[in-house]
Amino acid sequence: MQFLNNYSNRELNIWAELALDILVSVYFVFRIYPLIINDQFYSEALVHIILSTVIIAIIYSIIIFGTINTLTKREEKDERDYIYELKSYRISNNIFQISIYLLIGIIIFNTLYQEYFGEFTPPKIAMILLIIALLSSTGKSLTRLFNYRKNI
Amino acid sequence: MKEQRIKNQIRRLRFEANEMTQVELAEKANVTRQTIIALEAQKYSPSLELAFRIAKVFDVPLEEAFQYN
Repeated sequence: MQFLNNYSNRELNIWAELALDILVSVYFVFRIYPLIINDQFYSEALVHIILSTVIIAIIYSIIIFGTINTLTKREEKDERDYIYELKSYRISNNIFQISIYLLIGIIIFNTLYQEYFGEFTPPKIAMILLIIALLSSTGKSLTRLFNYRKNI
Repeated sequence: MKEQRIKNQIRRLRFEANEMTQVELAEKANVTRQTIIALEAQKYSPSLELAFRIAKVFDVPLEEAFQYN
């Protein structure tokens, strides 16, 4: 309970978002990795993993965000919140753009140099895009937390 | 860390205003308590509108609440 008193409702929500990103990343990688190693990386298996990941994320959100918003008082956003939100979206957008350009570069490189990274199948690209989305979201949460904490 | 060039007297003004709490000031200025904490720690420069709102809460001219160095 002391932890809840030290952080505002907004900060607790950001911590929970960050934990969700990490949880989803770890779960996703642990489920995907054996498929890649055993060369069983086909669409049906990937769809199953994505579905279970989404279900876990929904259950987590209901329990954790529900608890935080019940135990702590919700606050209206003020100008400082909007400024930090904008800063975090900028970082998140930069991570997203750079990652997408890198992915495009790798796909082109792969086509030119005899599939150096292995074949880029649609499920593989879907997985990479999901990882990029998670990275971008983690960057957003970390930037917001950094900005809130540096001013305390 | 970049030093804020806008300094404020919020802590002193709160003390002089019958020891107004941060929560009371936050409610009157329509911001969160965390914003008041950041302002008092001189780690956040408010918008012009917020600066005017805070000065109005204490019923003092803007330049008494905020100074530019």
